[in-house]
Amino acid sequence: MEQQIKTRDMNLLNFLRKYGTALGALVLFIIFSFASKNFFTTNNLLMLLRQMSMLTIISLGFTFVMGAGGFDMSIGNAAGLINIVFAISLIKSNSFLVALILSILCGLAIGMINGTLVAYVGLPDFIATFAVGSIVYGIKMLITKGNPIFFPDDIPAISVFIGQGYVGPIPFPVILMFVFVAIAIFTLNKTTLGRRVYAIGGNPVASLYAGINVKKYRLITFLICSFSVAVASVVLTSRLGSAQPLAGEEFLLDAIAVCFLSTTMFGDGEPTGAGTFVGAFIISMLNNGLTMMNVAYYFQYITKGLVVILAVVISVVLGRKMNLKI
Amino acid sequence: MATIDSSVKMATTDLDLKRDVILEAKGIDKEFNGVYVLKDIEFDLKPGEIHSLVGENGAGKSTFIKILSGVHKPSAGEIILNGQSVSFDNVGQSEKAGIRTVHQEINLVPYFSVYENIFIGAEKKKKLAGLPYTDDREMRKAARGVIKRLGIDFDVDTPAILLNASMKRIVEISKVLVHNPNIIIFDEPTTSLGEEERERLLKIIKSLKNSGLSIIYISHNLEEIMDISDRITVFRDGRKIDTMNVEEASVEKIVSMMIGQKSYSNYQRECSYCHEDIYLEAENLYTDKLKNISFKLRKGEILGIAGVVGAGKTEIAKAIFGLDPIYKGRIKVMGNEYEPSPQNAIDNGIALVPEERQAEGLIPSYCVSKNTTLTYLNKWCKGWVVDRKEEIKVTEEYIRKLSIKTTGPNQIIRFLSGGNQQKVILSRWLNGNFDIGIFDEPTKGIDIKAKEDIYILLDNLAKAGKSIMMLSSYLPELMCLCDRIIVVNEGSIVGQFNPKEKDAEKKIMAAMLGGEV
Repeated sequence: MEQQIKTRDMNLLNFLRKYGTALGALVLFIIFSFASKNFFTTNNLLMLLRQMSMLTIISLGFTFVMGAGGFDMSIGNAAGLINIVFAISLIKSNSFLVALILSILCGLAIGMINGTLVAYVGLPDFIATFAVGSIVYGIKMLITKGNPIFFPDDIPAISVFIGQGYVGPIPFPVILMFVFVAIAIFTLNKTTLGRRVYAIGGNPVASLYAGINVKKYRLITFLICSFSVAVASVVLTSRLGSAQPLAGEEFLLDAIAVCFLSTTMFGDGEPTGAGTFVGAFIISMLNNGLTMMNVAYYFQYITKGLVVILAVVISVVLGRKMNLKI
Repeated sequence: MATIDSSVKMATTDLDLKRDVILEAKGIDKEFNGVYVLKDIEFDLKPGEIHSLVGENGAGKSTFIKILSGVHKPSAGEIILNGQSVSFDNVGQSEKAGIRTVHQEINLVPYFSVYENIFIGAEKKKKLAGLPYTDDREMRKAARGVIKRLGIDFDVDTPAILLNASMKRIVEISKVLVHNPNIIIFDEPTTSLGEEERERLLKIIKSLKNSGLSIIYISHNLEEIMDISDRITVFRDGRKIDTMNVEEASVEKIVSMMIGQKSYSNYQRECSYCHEDIYLEAENLYTDKLKNISFKLRKGEILGIAGVVGAGKTEIAKAIFGLDPIYKGRIKVMGNEYEPSPQNAIDNGIALVPEERQAEGLIPSYCVSKNTTLTYLNKWCKGWVVDRKEEIKVTEEYIRKLSIKTTGPNQIIRFLSGGNQQKVILSRWLNGNFDIGIFDEPTKGIDIKAKEDIYILLDNLAKAGKSIMMLSSYLPELMCLCDRIIVVNEGSIVGQFNPKEKDAEKKIMAAMLGGEV
């Protein structure tokens, strides 16, 4: 059962458990750099960052939900609906601000429904958010009848800038992403909110006995998640210059993958802000790098699945070995 | 000449061993990552005896029985079973050799019936057309037989979830007995049992011994140990201190061996600090589990709530703390109306140290400091931001004050021993200056030294003018600590006693068990 592990090996195991995922990202980066001559170029790296910005923002929101021990299956469809809401309200009002506010309100409404069902009504999070996602998908299809909606030409410039603009050489979504990463890391590590979120994830009953308003904080995590989905979806719409009936769907699986990778960082078994950033980098790098190498898209799905399994296996196996001490 | 002499002596000893000893451990060492948790343990078990292991938490008892049951392999030394040297690679091998453990935790599948639980993983099978299927009739019969052997009679089709704590324990014992082991290890089997249930269980264990089984018994309750054992072995800091026959032992003697110095006294409070002001008042409370509960708690008072497990003590705490809905009745705090909810309770100066430390107290993934500051986190915040330095400072202060054994504020709490975990939970509340402290079985499953620390702490709190409610199913600690004791039985208050009055202990015990004196 239990093996003799020398102290030196323990240190190595400990290091791997903490930084193995980051190390994996680095190795993957080097492999891609050698495998495709187009990968390690300024242009492609900036594109990679821009591609990962939306996934990172969504995954950061998802990190709050998962940190509190929850799950949100509605994020893909929510991103899709907000995509439509933003495009239509922009076209109808011709005001970026109105469209932005409506999009965020739409996101918060979905988060409110998710959070109320899970925290206050007491439904299992998988089922509740899956059902809400299904309803959201239906509404989206009802509105668009499955047709795309394109921006007209006289649209306010800022609505295009959000997704397509540059500040100096750096795409605007990349800056937005780093702002979100900084806020998320700070909130999760330094504030009372983060402390309570992880406490609930660690032991919801003990959190209740310690006087934490568990229901309220679980609801808040769903609101944060949907808010992040709304922001990412606005960026997506602006980037596409249109609303697409299938837009945003791939965010669900990718964000789940990202957050599971995130839990493998630092070896605590909880998703962290920094871990999520690294996770999003890995998943986006796979998407980007494999495309660069002209690998067919279905192999990309297979690879992503394998990477997640590998990451979780490593963290679980190493975690077990570590827990053997005493 | 001398060499010949000693070899002859060795040979006779070996012969004796074969006759008298079923299990022997010789020079057992166990190290984890260079740290010795067991050193040079000598232990033997005779057929048909109860041999108890005692020692503080962390003394090495658990590691030792894990070695006997094949969970760990010893770093050095050998185990001799029926005269043959054995080495277990896993639990299965030790079970095959006839060693079984009844664990401290109850591990029953709630919706499985008693007999299904007893045979879980070892179902009896029949074959139909070459295909195996479970032989329920045979299993029921065997289960009934085993339970009868324990001198008890209940329906083996009852789902486990409907059983009370002691019945569950009996099912756990039956699970072991159906395999006809030679040696049974009991790891604190009476934890969370009330007085009456405890008596019954001890009787059962004695009857197992009389039927020829050899038993290794672990408990923190020394009266129990004195009652049940034939021999007693004391562990301290990973070493065996002594093995003695029960006739030579006394609680005093065992305790002094356990703690290493002769400082133990049955804890006695010097005086009471009761004031007239009423801090908490419950009027005719009804919940799912409670009927017409009324009582008053004064400033500086230590009020004991006594009752067997399941009598409704915890439910009173839960009702006050807003964890169970109240259908009827009301609660007043400091004379004011109070709407129970955990947040309201804390705002009104009520603290609750829950019974189930693991399930209801700890955030296992959090370090000592984060567990310490969880409830009153806002005290160490600037706005929404936690001031980590202040947090560490206050944690270090409590580590010192309560002498918590830990490597520091950043150690993950699940690596601490039970008593030290409990002290962290206590410091979580102590740093918030509560007025009314509800302590639900605060000394459950922790060693004597930590228990005494907690008694002294409660006394000091009362002295400082706090109101204390101490919930316990262990009467001696209530007797020496409380100003007043309320007895609960089946969700109702059945009596109120002054522990100083004549024959109080007898009367209280009788009330707990639903009788009268």
